[in-house]
Formats: sequence, structure tokens, C-alpha cells
Amino acid sequence: MEAENNKLGYTDIHEDVVRSIVVTGPKYYATLATAGGLALVCFFFPWFYQLYYGIGAAGMNHPGVWGTYLASFIFWIGLSHSGTLLSCVLHLTNSSWRKAMYRSAEAMTLFSLVVAATYVFVHVGRPWFAHWTFPYPNQWELWPNFRSPLLFDVMAIATYLTGSTIFIYMGSIPDFAAVRDRTVGWRNTMYSLLSLGWRGTDTEWHRLHWAYTFLAVLIIPLAVSVHSIVSWDFAMSIVPGLHQTIFAPYFVVGAIYSGTAGIVTVMFVLRKYMGFEQYITKLHFDNLGKLLLLLSLLWTYINAIELFTGWYSGTSDEYEQLSFKLFGFYAPLYWEMILFCAVAPLLMISKRFRTSFVPMLILSIAINIGMYTERFLIVATSLPRQYLPDAWGFYAPSLVELSIMVGSFAVFTTLFLIFVKIFPSVSMYEVKETMETPKLKPAIPQAGSPA
Amino acid sequence: MTTCVVGLFHDPQSALAAAGELKNAGFETPELMSPVPIEGVEEVLGKKKSIIKNFTFFGGLIGGISGFTLASVTAILYPHPVGGRPIITIPPYLIITYELTILFGILFTVLGFFISSRLPAIRNRMYVPEAAVDKFAVAVTCENSEHRSRADAIFNGAGAEQIRDMGEED
Repeated sequence: MEAENNKLGYTDIHEDVVRSIVVTGPKYYATLATAGGLALVCFFFPWFYQLYYGIGAAGMNHPGVWGTYLASFIFWIGLSHSGTLLSCVLHLTNSSWRKAMYRSAEAMTLFSLVVAATYVFVHVGRPWFAHWTFPYPNQWELWPNFRSPLLFDVMAIATYLTGSTIFIYMGSIPDFAAVRDRTVGWRNTMYSLLSLGWRGTDTEWHRLHWAYTFLAVLIIPLAVSVHSIVSWDFAMSIVPGLHQTIFAPYFVVGAIYSGTAGIVTVMFVLRKYMGFEQYITKLHFDNLGKLLLLLSLLWTYINAIELFTGWYSGTSDEYEQLSFKLFGFYAPLYWEMILFCAVAPLLMISKRFRTSFVPMLILSIAINIGMYTERFLIVATSLPRQYLPDAWGFYAPSLVELSIMVGSFAVFTTLFLIFVKIFPSVSMYEVKETMETPKLKPAIPQAGSPA
Repeated sequence: MTTCVVGLFHDPQSALAAAGELKNAGFETPELMSPVPIEGVEEVLGKKKSIIKNFTFFGGLIGGISGFTLASVTAILYPHPVGGRPIITIPPYLIITYELTILFGILFTVLGFFISSRLPAIRNRMYVPEAAVDKFAVAVTCENSEHRSRADAIFNGAGAEQIRDMGEED
């Protein structure tokens, strides 16, 4: 990256980023309209239908009371896990390759979280009572039960959403200020407000550095806790296949894994369609590929452990659960997941693969399909088949659920498309930091008499 | 009457050198404005201390205490005894404590950042638009015309591309 960046100056990156915000072609509008339209038709209409006819419109019924809504919720929370977390870790370890890509990665976190939070409203059936989960004083003497993992979830996700929003915003303040001077009209007003009057003084930079570092330190344990807590929604129930101590690390690793794959997909799109070829380079794909490879190995290991503990428990309910997962109705999905998440990623051992853009894009999408399947299997193969075969059921998603699942991707895309036109999607000041500035030795000032 | 003078530089090192010279010549500590954080500012202009860490620490502390209080006071006010288990259950409440520690830590860090960097700016402040793109600016306050000419000399000596008069200050 250094070599490629050396050709570019401070003004080049400035021009490129401002252009990515203010110059909007018909292609962008067409994509936005398609994504927005799909979101409306596939996500919001079915949701309204479900609100009107009741939660029965979804395929969930006793004993399979959790379905794709919950699987999608975990998927989106998981996808949100890499952006901010990776950005924080790389910030603290001073990795310069983070700088060109972290803004979009953090945006991915933010919008995945928004979609995940929306899924909670879809899932609960009566979203107009959602405020009951928040601990505020009320006349019904209705207080949430703080022993429930579902309430841990509320706390964790609310904190994570707040934290990620603040983190992406704080890092963007200097860039808002830089864009402010180059825009007119409503954009100028918006950026003036967003930049808070940032001038780039030495004091401001110093304060930003420390505030940002403290935020990074706080967000890393937060991100780990969020997905652990999501896993306890499952692991704290006494259901075969869910009641496992390995669930927290299993979910955290899975989340970072699918999130990193998501970053690869987003980087590819930004690089190709937003004209950031010079900033997002093979180096980024190479490094992300190495990370993905490591995560895939970890994920495979934890999966093997999960199978082993189930087998080693020697209990018939665990055996039954395992054999249904491995050889039952949903077995093809299970083996597809193994193929996409454990076998195919081994290709990334080769550097040539890691630095090829299109194969990495295909693999990153395959990994996320596999990871979605994993979450679906967790829900669909456990709850409907608990201890009594007499009470077994079967869960398959209804059309409403499938449509909302497809629609959620459109919601995410719409939000992301709006983001790239408001936020500078490459962090200007940090890319500038990696560029060459004339290196003169500072002259040692002589002590003079007071003026 | 005081005026504010800004010297614009092409590279951070010259700007830093000029700032150091101004400081040693007895001017009020000059202010640097740059598109990127400049390395070595503290060696030239003196060590900077920020109060943000106190905000983060006490924010986390307040968050932790309020998290545990929230969960345990709720349990005491609306007791729900189950199978003889304790009303205040430590392990699950620690999770609420943990989350609120982080939430308050984050919010207080932001508050600390705003207070210590004097943002958001309510009034207009002296500002150099080029310093957001590719120039490094050094701003210094001059009390009279003699100061002004000395500042000019220092800026020129350090290789300023441009010297700009930002007008009178209160």
C-alpha cells in the first residue's frame, strides 16, 4: 500500500472522497431505488401483513417457537461483530492497513445492528409493547426481570448500538470538517453541524486521540460480551443441542468470522463501484484473508468440540439431537455449512487466492451463506425436538419469513447506500497519515528573550 | 489591541519549527492547525494533559454502581421468590453491571472529549480552511506591531508559504 500511496498526495484523497459524496450518477439512484423498493416489498409489506393477521403468519408454532427471525437476528448481530471490533483491535495495535477500510467496516456494524434490532421487533409479534423491556418506572409496577438472558440482550445491544454509533461518529469528525469546506447548500449546513466546529488544532487532535483510544478499549470487551449474551439466550435453556458451555466462544468466533467475510464483500463493492481502487488494495484482501483463514480454523475446531461433547455425554437426547442434525431432514444444510465454512476457506492458504478479488468475493459470500445456515440449524434442529419424541414437531419457515429474510438484505443495502453519500467512506485523515510528508529535521529553536 | 497572525506551511516539520521558535521568543503558546495529527508536537510545545481518562474512569464507576443498583433495587422492590433462591442474584446482575459500566464509560468519555477539546464550538473561531486539506498552519497572537514584525520574521525564516492576518481579537 505504501508504494501505491506514495504516488498520491493529500489533495488527491481529498478530491476522491469529496467526489464519492457529491458526485452521484444514475447508477447509484437506480441501485438505491431497487434496494429501497425491495426493502419495502420484501421486508415491510410482509411485516405489516404479519402485524395485521397475527404472528401465525410466520411458520413458528409449538414446539418450534423460534424460527428464521431469531436465526436472522443472530446472523445480523454476528455480521455486526467484525467492523467495530476489528477496527478497535487494529487501532490499538497500530496497524496502518486498517485506515483505508475501517470506516465502511464500522458502518457495516452499525447497519447490521439496526437490521438486527428491527428483527427483534418482527420476532416479538407485538412490537408495540417493546418498551416493556426497558427498566423505566411505570404505574403498572411492571419491572423487567434482570435474571433473564433476554434482558441481558436488551442491555447489551442497546449499549453496543450506542457505542458503535459514537465510535464511528468520533472518528469521522475531522473528515466532516474537511468535507464541510468543499460543499454548499444543505450539505454544507449538515457537515457544519456534524463537524461541531472542528479546526484540527493540536489540542483537538490530542483529545481525539485519547478519547478514541479509550472508546476502542471499552468497545472490545463490549463486543465480546454482546455475542456471548446472545448465545446465552440459547445456552441457558435446558434444550439438547443448546445447553452447552461452549456456546459463548462458539458464537463470538462465528460472529467475527461472518463479520470479517462481510467486510471482504463490502470492500469489494466499495472498491469496484465507488472508485477506491487506490486505497483498498490487494494488501487489505491479503490481510483479511489471513484473518478469515484463522477464524475458519477456530470455527471448525469449536464445531468439532460441539460434536464431541454431544457424543461424549452419552445421553440419548444429545445423541438424538446430533443424529438429526447430521443425518436428519436438515442434514444437507449441515453439510453445506461444513463445506462453505470449514472446507472452502482452506483455499485461502494460497496467497494467490487471497489476493484475487473475485474469488475472495465469492468465498466471502459463501461463508456468510454457511454462517446463516449455522444459525438456522441451531434454531430449527433443537427446539422442535426436545426430550419427548411424543411432543416433537417440525419447523420450516413460511413465505412471510423467507420474504422478510430476503428483505432484510435490501434494508441493509439501502442504509449502506445512504451512508456512502453522507459519511466519507474512507477515513481521509488517517489515509493521509500513511502518506509521505516531507521529512525535514525540526530545527531546534534557540531560546530568545521575551518579545 | 491584539491581532492574530497565521503562517501557512507546506510540511509539518517547518510548521513545528516555527511554532517552537515563536514559543521560545516569548509569544503566547502558538496553536497548530493541521489535516493530520502532527508527530512531536508535545516535544516542542510542551506536554499535553487531558482529563478524558478521569471521565472514562468515573463514568465506568458510576455505570457499574448504577447497573448493580438498578437490578438489585428492582428485585427488592418487586420481589419474586423462586424456589428459595436469593432475591439478589449476583451472577446475572454482574452482567447488567458490566454492560452499564461500559455504556456509562463510553458516554462519559464522549462528554470528556467535548469538554476538554471545547467542542462543539458555539461562537465563530479563527479558522484556516486549507489546514483541513494539505496545509499546516501556525496561529499566534500578537499584542502590537513590533510583535507582529517579529512573528513575520520567524514565519519567513521557517519557510512559510503565506502569512495571513486573521484580524483583531477581543
